Amino acid sequence: MDFGYLDSWIEEQVGKEVVEQTGTGYRNIWVVAEASNGALAPGTVQAMGQARDMADSIGVYVFGVLLGAQAAPLAQQLIAYGADKVLVAGTPVLDEYQPETYSRVLADLVGQYRPEILLLAATALGNDLAPRLAQRLNTGLISHCVKVEIDMSERLLLGTFRILGGEMFNTLACPEARPQMATLQPGYFRTPSQDAYRSGEVQEVEADLSGTAGRLTWLNLDAAFDKPAVPLRKARIVVSAGRGLGNAEGFALAEQLAAALGGVVAGTRGALDEGWIAEEQVVGIGGETVAPDLYIACGLSGDIHHYFGIRNSKLVVAINADEKAPIMKVANYAVVGDARQILPAMLQALTR
Amino acid sequence: MDFSFPKEYQLFRRMVRDFAENEVKPLAKAVDREHRVPFETVKKAAALGLMGVPFPQKYGGMGGGEMGYCIMMEELGRICTSTATVIGAHTGIAAMSIYLDGTEEQKQKFLVPLASGRLIGAFGLTEAQAGSDAAAIKTTAVRDGNHFVLNGAKVFITNGDIAGIMTAMAVTDPSLGAYGGITAFIVETDTPGFSIGSLENKMGIRGSSTAECVFQDVRVPKENVLGQFGAGFLTFMKSLDIGRASLGAACLGGAQAAMEGCMEWTMAREQFGVPVATKQSVYFMIADMAAEIEALRSIIYRTAWLIDTHQPHIKEAAICKLYGSEVASRCIHKAVQIHGALGYSRDYWVERAYRDARIAEIFEGTNEIQRIVLASNLFRPYGLRIPS
Amino acid sequence: MKIIVLIKQVLDPAGILIRRDKEKMFINREEYIVGPDSKAALEAALQLKDAGGAEVIALSLGKPRADDALREALAMGCDAAYLLNDEAFAAADVPVTATVLAAAIQKLGGADLVVAGRESGDTGAGQIGSRLAEALSYAQVTDIHALTGVPGAIQATRRWGGGYAAVQALLPAVVTVAPEAFPARYAHGARIMNAYREWQVTTWNASDLGLNDAALKPLLVFRGESFPQPLPVGEQVKGAPASAAHELITALKLQKAIG
Repeated sequence: MDFGYLDSWIEEQVGKEVVEQTGTGYRNIWVVAEASNGALAPGTVQAMGQARDMADSIGVYVFGVLLGAQAAPLAQQLIAYGADKVLVAGTPVLDEYQPETYSRVLADLVGQYRPEILLLAATALGNDLAPRLAQRLNTGLISHCVKVEIDMSERLLLGTFRILGGEMFNTLACPEARPQMATLQPGYFRTPSQDAYRSGEVQEVEADLSGTAGRLTWLNLDAAFDKPAVPLRKARIVVSAGRGLGNAEGFALAEQLAAALGGVVAGTRGALDEGWIAEEQVVGIGGETVAPDLYIACGLSGDIHHYFGIRNSKLVVAINADEKAPIMKVANYAVVGDARQILPAMLQALTR
Repeated sequence: MDFSFPKEYQLFRRMVRDFAENEVKPLAKAVDREHRVPFETVKKAAALGLMGVPFPQKYGGMGGGEMGYCIMMEELGRICTSTATVIGAHTGIAAMSIYLDGTEEQKQKFLVPLASGRLIGAFGLTEAQAGSDAAAIKTTAVRDGNHFVLNGAKVFITNGDIAGIMTAMAVTDPSLGAYGGITAFIVETDTPGFSIGSLENKMGIRGSSTAECVFQDVRVPKENVLGQFGAGFLTFMKSLDIGRASLGAACLGGAQAAMEGCMEWTMAREQFGVPVATKQSVYFMIADMAAEIEALRSIIYRTAWLIDTHQPHIKEAAICKLYGSEVASRCIHKAVQIHGALGYSRDYWVERAYRDARIAEIFEGTNEIQRIVLASNLFRPYGLRIPS
Repeated sequence: MKIIVLIKQVLDPAGILIRRDKEKMFINREEYIVGPDSKAALEAALQLKDAGGAEVIALSLGKPRADDALREALAMGCDAAYLLNDEAFAAADVPVTATVLAAAIQKLGGADLVVAGRESGDTGAGQIGSRLAEALSYAQVTDIHALTGVPGAIQATRRWGGGYAAVQALLPAVVTVAPEAFPARYAHGARIMNAYREWQVTTWNASDLGLNDAALKPLLVFRGESFPQPLPVGEQVKGAPASAAHELITALKLQKAIG
């Protein structure tokens, strides 16, 4: 068969500008990338995956944007994750985050290229920057999205985010203002795989920062900070120990799990009698009432006296070798097994 | 008729509730177990103006009137009867007696430090042989130059050992009896001759101290005569009459806590496959509690309103104390029953509440005295005198 | 130092019950409170006032009942309070809210420091701080856990890159605070008693702020509410420790119970 007719079209495409400038319209999906220590932030990678999926569904391109000289080398990685083109503002001035300089550069780029959708990861930087940029662009921003999708009938970005402590979701859209901005909550989106064979274009852009100066002085990018102790009744994560942990070594596992999760340790009267915990750490009718987001009961049977103290917990995990223990019926997740074996396995899984 | 609390009182209630839940509640079990006064709570309360709630701001008080005071006592009583007792004795009868009958100089000198919480107050009336028969006190006050010299011993005095100021009743003329022969004095407890005897080992309210106070040639300046000379009995009765309303408010809080605790427990506890709250024998008890609590709430705050609007209130205040203490006792009695064996356990709040509630029917005028007060006020308009 | 604190009055979450299985939100007790994030902002501002003397102004965009929230702010120690109320603000989305607040702050003559909660507890978008900073051309530091004033600037410890960073920002600046980092003080009883008489809450509407309908047009539209899946009860996880642990951790991460 003769495919010559295709050859001429292929020739036309080579060297054609990747970007379609339609004049008045906004087009394409952008991801403002964040990098630290020479690596793309996980949230950025997830946003890239999401951007790629959405771009494919409406047939547009994905742009990555990198700011700073240190981030510049990551352009190829962005392409591997799905970018068709990467704009790099590689001036060393942008190696340091300043809300004013970042929003100026991005606003200028947006003004020039007019993306229809602009995404950032909802990291500390993204949460700080995105609203300032949105305000500058006089556009809508849907923040902390746990889900984004395109309404195909209206070609609108729908962003869904948690409200009321995560018990409900709201979905918003930005019908007219452009670009439609969203920040994506890291961890809620799949991590795409890298395709080293993907090709794309990397374009250096000049950043005009005349008249724009950052007003932050970063005194210490990795400051030590002692969080004040939270009383047990206000703790968000509680790891609770019962007699089923056997001995002090078993109890130490519960302490390690609490430390790994950023929670506090509590226990039953049995744990108190064994000398592992103090009176103030006893949970139950005769002790404290707790209302954490996560309560992990390790090696405790959890009768009504204990349950009464934890009934307001959002999510209860019980680890007990006896699947008929009272707590195993009321827990959300009941892990049947010896806590002394399950806990080390959990610690392993968490550090992976 | 608007039965809602004015907005500042609603805001005040929210603040006191938060304070009670976050600062008082964590200590409730410990102060009972360890038989100690929660001084750290007193310090925090003083910093927020809670040691002088009913008194005008010009005397270092909070300016909340009786209404505000009852709100605070209700919220404290809901969490820890001991704490309510410490603050209640200090504010409701000790400082109150100076507020009601003190001269301007006395208010500046004694009420201000009490209202601001710099000093704790106590009310020295009861003696070994003079309980309900308050007129039978034997502590004497003999004039000596510009002083009165007090000799005698008071018993069952709340805050007696921690007070900086005590208002004490003493006999100034044995021949005149209750009316004319008894005078009230403001005693600074660091005066030589004042000492503490024994501390009571109580069934409940163990987070408050109840002391024997000994007067041995305690020289009190004549400027410290509180109220009219010889009219001490009236001075003290005035203070007790008002104090009853807030004591009833504390009982209201205790009853409320009992009911709330029962509801939480019965919704969680299952027997025979269902929450026990669905069993008629149980929910009838809770319904009865609710009815009595609402009725008590109405009389408490109506009485507070009568007091704040300077209307007669003796009858209503007696009802507050009488009904309040009995409602609280009934509610906590039911709570013990509802919690079953758990209600009998010293590890849980129910048995502490049971022990704490009992005193309310006894102190600040036994319920028998309240009935006498009530009856005598009922029959007086008809010309019939009820003897005490 | 002149500090403006942003207050948002919200429904008390303790009175709200959300049933995932019924996909419904029940308001069992309709009570309005100063949101915990706003309280933390108040606390941060009042700590600066305690440390070095400052004028603290409370500002709220809300319905007339937000007057109660502002009275509470005054009782806690603020020196003045302003309420922005207008029918035209009822449909405000986050950008419009920022427009209104910025106009009010400018009408107040600006501030050295604007303090807000990181996000409001109810529908928290967490955008107001940065939006205001852009609108007012102020410096910004968000999600701070510690705050001190130095001449002409503030120093803050903020969440950064999985840990914390210490940063200094020139004034004027906008900061947003992490609610858990600034446990709010109790209001003094006497100030509570005086809250409704000693101060005037000044109320401004759209025309006071010079805002026409065009400025108040929302950019975002509501496209629906939904509920997370109900949590399982008694769901057993069995097997060898390694696989059971893995299954559990995966489930917990899916539920966002752990990071």
